[in-house]
Amino acid sequence: MAPYPNLIGFWAVCISWSALFLTAVSIYLYMDSRKNRKQDTHATGGLGFVRDFVFVWILLGLLGLYIVSIDTGSSILFASGNIVVEALLIAYTVKNRPPKEPKTEERDS
Amino acid sequence: MSKQKAQELRTDYWSFHPTDAYGSLGTSEHGLSEQEAQQRLEKYGHNELPEKGVSWTQVLLRQFKNPVSGILFASAIVAGFFGQLVQSIVILAMILLSAILGFYNEYNAEKTVRALRRSVSVKAVVTRNGRPSEIDASLVVPGDVVSVYVGDVACADMRIVQCKELEVNEAALTGESFPVEKTSDGLDIQGPTPQQLTNYLFMGTVVQHGSGRGVVVSTGRRTEFGSISTSLAESRPETEFQRGVRKYGTMLISLTMALVIGIFVLNTVVGHPIIDSLLFSLAVAVGLVPELMPAIVTISLSQGARAMAKKHVVVKRLVSIEDFGNMDALCTDKTGTLTSGKIILQDYWSLGKARDARILHYALLCNGAVTGEKITGNPMDVAIWEYAIAKGIEGETKSYTSVDEIPFDYQRRMMSTVVAKDGKLTLINKGAPESVLSRCKYAETDGKRGPIDSVQKLIDAKLAEYSSAGYRSLAIAYKMIDAKPSYSVEDEANLTLLGFLIFTDPPKKDAQQAVAQLNRMGVDVKILTGDNELVAVKICEELRIPVKRVIRGSELTQMSSTEIRSAVEEGTIFARITPEQKLDVIKALRTNGHVVGFMGDGVNDAPALHEADVGISVDSAVDVSKAAADIVLLEKDLSVLADGIEEGRKIFSNTIKYILMGTSSNFGNMFSAAAASLFLPFLPMLPMQILFMNLLYDVSNMTLPSDNVDEEYTKWPRRWDIGFVRKFTLFFGPFSSLYDFLTYGIMLFIFGASASLFQSGWFVESFWTEVLVIFVIRTRRIPFVRSRPGKWLTALALSAVAFGTILPFTILGNFLGFTSLPVQFWALLILMVATYLLLVDAGKVFFYKICKF
Repeated sequence: MAPYPNLIGFWAVCISWSALFLTAVSIYLYMDSRKNRKQDTHATGGLGFVRDFVFVWILLGLLGLYIVSIDTGSSILFASGNIVVEALLIAYTVKNRPPKEPKTEERDS
Repeated sequence: MSKQKAQELRTDYWSFHPTDAYGSLGTSEHGLSEQEAQQRLEKYGHNELPEKGVSWTQVLLRQFKNPVSGILFASAIVAGFFGQLVQSIVILAMILLSAILGFYNEYNAEKTVRALRRSVSVKAVVTRNGRPSEIDASLVVPGDVVSVYVGDVACADMRIVQCKELEVNEAALTGESFPVEKTSDGLDIQGPTPQQLTNYLFMGTVVQHGSGRGVVVSTGRRTEFGSISTSLAESRPETEFQRGVRKYGTMLISLTMALVIGIFVLNTVVGHPIIDSLLFSLAVAVGLVPELMPAIVTISLSQGARAMAKKHVVVKRLVSIEDFGNMDALCTDKTGTLTSGKIILQDYWSLGKARDARILHYALLCNGAVTGEKITGNPMDVAIWEYAIAKGIEGETKSYTSVDEIPFDYQRRMMSTVVAKDGKLTLINKGAPESVLSRCKYAETDGKRGPIDSVQKLIDAKLAEYSSAGYRSLAIAYKMIDAKPSYSVEDEANLTLLGFLIFTDPPKKDAQQAVAQLNRMGVDVKILTGDNELVAVKICEELRIPVKRVIRGSELTQMSSTEIRSAVEEGTIFARITPEQKLDVIKALRTNGHVVGFMGDGVNDAPALHEADVGISVDSAVDVSKAAADIVLLEKDLSVLADGIEEGRKIFSNTIKYILMGTSSNFGNMFSAAAASLFLPFLPMLPMQILFMNLLYDVSNMTLPSDNVDEEYTKWPRRWDIGFVRKFTLFFGPFSSLYDFLTYGIMLFIFGASASLFQSGWFVESFWTEVLVIFVIRTRRIPFVRSRPGKWLTALALSAVAFGTILPFTILGNFLGFTSLPVQFWALLILMVATYLLLVDAGKVFFYKICKF
């Protein structure tokens, strides 16, 4: 039994709320940008939505992992879950990097 | 125009005969008496323009005039009131530090420009009591009789009463680069413009040739020069950067007020002590305020100003640097900026197929310029000599002997010389085409002489073609002449036309490259000129500036403000426009949302320099123009502009980085603190701990102004977009909150933490994420490791993380209420923070795809 049993419900609501708030903000920004870009033909169908929101699906997956691992008090589950997600995120960012980027300019300091 | 000036101009001094002009101004050709001059000095004041310089107190006070400083002051007062003296002092120290830095830089810049202005001491030759003497120009009064010579700058507005071959460069006042011929004759015109007053000498204009005497009509701010200067006394419009800071401050105030009230009320409702609730809500508010913003901005601007000074650019107003970088429309005067402002001999032509080299030889033989170490005289005569020297032909006239000269005068608009070679005498005549042609009976075509009437149409067409393209022409004619004791203007008849000399004010060598570079950087270059459109188009063609539309001043006059707003978007050249229309163009561009720069160096440019977001002038510009400018180029080099813009963009990037990082992570942390305070039986972090974390975070950001900037940030102008800041905060703030809540879960449900352990764990996690996310957010690149951060930023941020890590194990940590953390916590923390940073990086893929900045 986890310590502070009376707080786990509040805590789950808070962490879920922050993840869901982020999801809602993402959807709002996405719809807002679609509205502003009349010529946008990219990602009009459901598949585009699924693909563009990869990080949101990962986020919601993480939320599930965090609630379950903390509710069960399992550090192992928490650690292994994090490692898997980190691998997924690295693959995602590497896949989405632009083909070539110019140099970073040094400032006179 | 002031009332007094209007009154003075009601007397039509220009219409009087020169001798009547003396009487109308209460003087005579012997000048005023010293006593009368003294009385007039008391009545009209010194012949000086109002200094635009500001006092040190004004410079110091304006450092505090921004909303963020206001919030910080309020925070410091409240913190002090509730006993948080250390925090209160720290906040006040931050404000003071940034104010001192800002003051130091801005005041030094003011002093530099003031010194530049004072380096030019103006004297005037004034006749008083019948005796000419040199006095300080500031002591000149209306009615004084002033003598001017080549190279003199007119010290006041004067009615010319006597002159000899007087030519004046009025470019500083009217933008016209060719000298204007002056006369002492009365003019029969009503309501003249300065350009029409050919018997006036205006303050600030330069005598290019000849000499003259004038009676002073007006002095100081009542001169034409002064009236423009006075209009600059109006308050400067807010720059784009200042608008951005103000909007950001307003957003911050709204957010802070809402959170303070909300947290205080909710904490009180759930049963926390009122004082604790108030202190906690205030700590959250202080946590939200980016205390270092004024310091970061000022340090960035100071570094930028120093970097720009190395490139010979004086930044007069620090706040303009960021607008300089964000500038997307540069309006520039043509003369002296895109063109050299110096007349050159472009070419010469004769009527036949081949050019006759005698045209040049004769132009050298019939020339009023004084040659020596330096060639001086009429700019066209000087240009002929410079051309000949450049071509190495100046010695080819040595076989000629000078016999006589019939000097130039403005009635004939020509001069003649008689030269001898191999025992034969030739009269050479050079002058304005229409004057010379009227004295020509013949014209030479390919070495054959024929009647001029047969080629008159060809000559007229060609001259019109050159004239419409902005060239000035001089004709060369000659005749063989018999020897006699002396020669006169009667001998200037039955001449043979040989050909023409073509003069121009050429584009500057570096202008083409500089304009192309500005275009590549997303800066739309627009030319605002008082000159005709054909000249401006020709300059644009030579500089390869694509011309979308040419708009004349007369067209602008007919347009409504809506039409002007539309026209300024399409127009590349605005020709024959008045200083007021320059202002209209700049205002319309600003209303359309552009950040507008204006570059000019004449008196007529001063109002536009004042109105633009960034006023750029050059060291050789007139004082009033430099006074109105934000940035003064010590060298007339357009390429410096591109360097300055790049510097401005780097500064803007680093300022925005701080705002984005600070606002989003602070927002996330404070939001989770506020939420946690509602369900936890203790405060998630003590007010002192929040404030300490905030201070430590700010210290880690101190070297942000020296951070490296990705090249893509300097390629295009960017705008201070408060909507973007809001979206960024809304999107990236919750990432931080999510991991704060996760830490709460770990501390509460895995470690069963006490209040102290909980606060220690959250402090460390919060601090790690807050500082390390700097490396992710500072770049748009994905993954973030593709952008190299500045070494000082890396060093300080990692040192701060190290300090925050060991803090709970130290005496200071104990003092702050922290306790040691278990080993298992560190393992989980590393995993958690790594996931957090990667998740934020992945979030950037999504965010920057849909939110452009």
